[in-house]
Amino acid sequence: MENMIEVKGLTKTFKSYKKGKGLSGTIKTLFKREVTEIEAVKDISFNIRPGEIIGYIGANGAGKSTTIKMMTGILNPTSGFVKVDGRVPYEKRQENAKHIGVVFGQKTQLWWDLPVGETFAILKEIYQVPDAFYAEQMKYFDEIFELSEFMGQTVRTLSLGQRMRADLAASMLHNPKVLFLDEPTIGLDVMVKERIRKAIKDMNKRYGTTILLTTHDMSDIEELCHRIIIIDKGQLLYDGGIDTIRRDFGYERKIVFDLRYDDAEVVGAILQQMRDEIQGCTPENMTYTLSESQLSVIFNRNEINISSIMNYVLQHLNVIDFSVKDMDIEAIVKRF
Amino acid sequence: MTKTFKRYLKLYGMFLSQYLKAVMHSRTDFLIGFLAFFLIQFGGIAFIALVFRQIPDLMGWSFYDLLFIYGFANIPRGIDHMFTDYLWLLAGNVIVQGEFDRYLLRPIHPLFQIIAQRFQPDGIGEMIIGILLVVYAASKGGIEFTAGKIILLIVMVIFSTIIYTSIKLILASIAFWTKRSQSILFMFYSMSEFSKYPLAIYHKFIRTFITYIVPFALTAYIPASYFLGESSLMESLGLTVSISLIALALGLFIFSRGIKQYESVGN
Repeated sequence: MENMIEVKGLTKTFKSYKKGKGLSGTIKTLFKREVTEIEAVKDISFNIRPGEIIGYIGANGAGKSTTIKMMTGILNPTSGFVKVDGRVPYEKRQENAKHIGVVFGQKTQLWWDLPVGETFAILKEIYQVPDAFYAEQMKYFDEIFELSEFMGQTVRTLSLGQRMRADLAASMLHNPKVLFLDEPTIGLDVMVKERIRKAIKDMNKRYGTTILLTTHDMSDIEELCHRIIIIDKGQLLYDGGIDTIRRDFGYERKIVFDLRYDDAEVVGAILQQMRDEIQGCTPENMTYTLSESQLSVIFNRNEINISSIMNYVLQHLNVIDFSVKDMDIEAIVKRF
Repeated sequence: MTKTFKRYLKLYGMFLSQYLKAVMHSRTDFLIGFLAFFLIQFGGIAFIALVFRQIPDLMGWSFYDLLFIYGFANIPRGIDHMFTDYLWLLAGNVIVQGEFDRYLLRPIHPLFQIIAQRFQPDGIGEMIIGILLVVYAASKGGIEFTAGKIILLIVMVIFSTIIYTSIKLILASIAFWTKRSQSILFMFYSMSEFSKYPLAIYHKFIRTFITYIVPFALTAYIPASYFLGESSLMESLGLTVSISLIALALGLFIFSRGIKQYESVGN
């Protein structure tokens, strides 16, 4: 098959009804309702081939989740269509559900009151996973997610990281052809994030699983995705390789310093000096902003060595604390 | 078809055994719930007993007749309560909070998932009280139970339970359009109280209403009246079976229309 996912002219409009104020308003709205239409997704088209890992990116409220809900069969589109593995998900919902796996980072798909072990036994029955394959999968999940740590606990008692590991394993149990991961690393610490990325990569390699994921974490994208799709205000903004993004934005790093002095002139003078002393510190490759006692330096890590900036600032300014940040996705979307 | 049924049955068994395990773990909760329920039931029976101290019979119905109807009413109500309690939450916050999403992501029927989401042990108490009252009232009131009649009673209880479930399903499904329907569900569900007493004591309007519109009369009085010799088998069984099946079909129809209309929520 050529395309695993086909999205064409996809549009979703939500209707919302204005409620009148007070009793008279409520009665009025019973007879005449004011309708406001919100276009959450506008005429989006793209195709995804089997085995691709796609980053589906956009700011909050851009329409990512709405698109995923149409691709998984939860919502009906207003116009246009989606095909997943040749099926229209919202028309053949249960059939489609057998072949996909879904994780919503914000909400667990698991049964709150059941122990993790029992959850998998029930999922085995729901997806009719053969015994041998089930045993193999559980062994594999235990390796990558270390599930045995909390197999006996009920889902409600899991920590966020454990819950996400359980949710991911649950979505992969029946070896779905397509995985939809909506914010699979949200709120997790670096170690757990790393483990989850490794598992996603591994699944893709092992079974050729097609994966569509949304994230706010630039390193998720850099590590996992070959291609990204950016949407904003419901419209397609960019669909293409990660290289363009990486070339334009991926090498930008931001260091935030908390300073003991906040004399802008002194700091400004020192930073001017830094431009001269460090190689490649042109205004193109390095910019800084100073607000109160916080100094943010944004620089191209291809052109400028991070240690030289760190050295210089730490030597010349009185630094209380600092942190190194990736460029966030919101900032990238804004620049388009 | 039978394969699917077996699979669903097995799945339900897996959920149920987990819930029962959890109930055993929190035994005090269970006991308190049980005790509270017995006290409420005791109040209801004491009320009937008190009324009958003043009057020898109510429009031709003896104390034991009333007790029989009252007891019968508790059996389907208790069974429905045990298995479909989560419909109350469907009418409550499930749709508003977008919780319904997950039922659409699994390759099994969403209604099954909702029902399997909870087992309510309080219903066991209701059912046991009902059975005890029916047996007691029958033996004191001189109703003879043959094997055939016992089977008939079980059949009637099954269809009466379907009526309870269907009414809850229809009203809870309204939430697909209105986001919440708990108050309307509560309002109609309260009418099931009417079914605990003989229909004859009500105004004609109420009688018609609880027989055909919100058919709670079919969950107690109408099936029970057959055993009390007040109506023919055809009349009570026929009416109970046909109306319960119509209600169930309507409930399933509205539920599936509701799913098509479901809009989820934003994050």
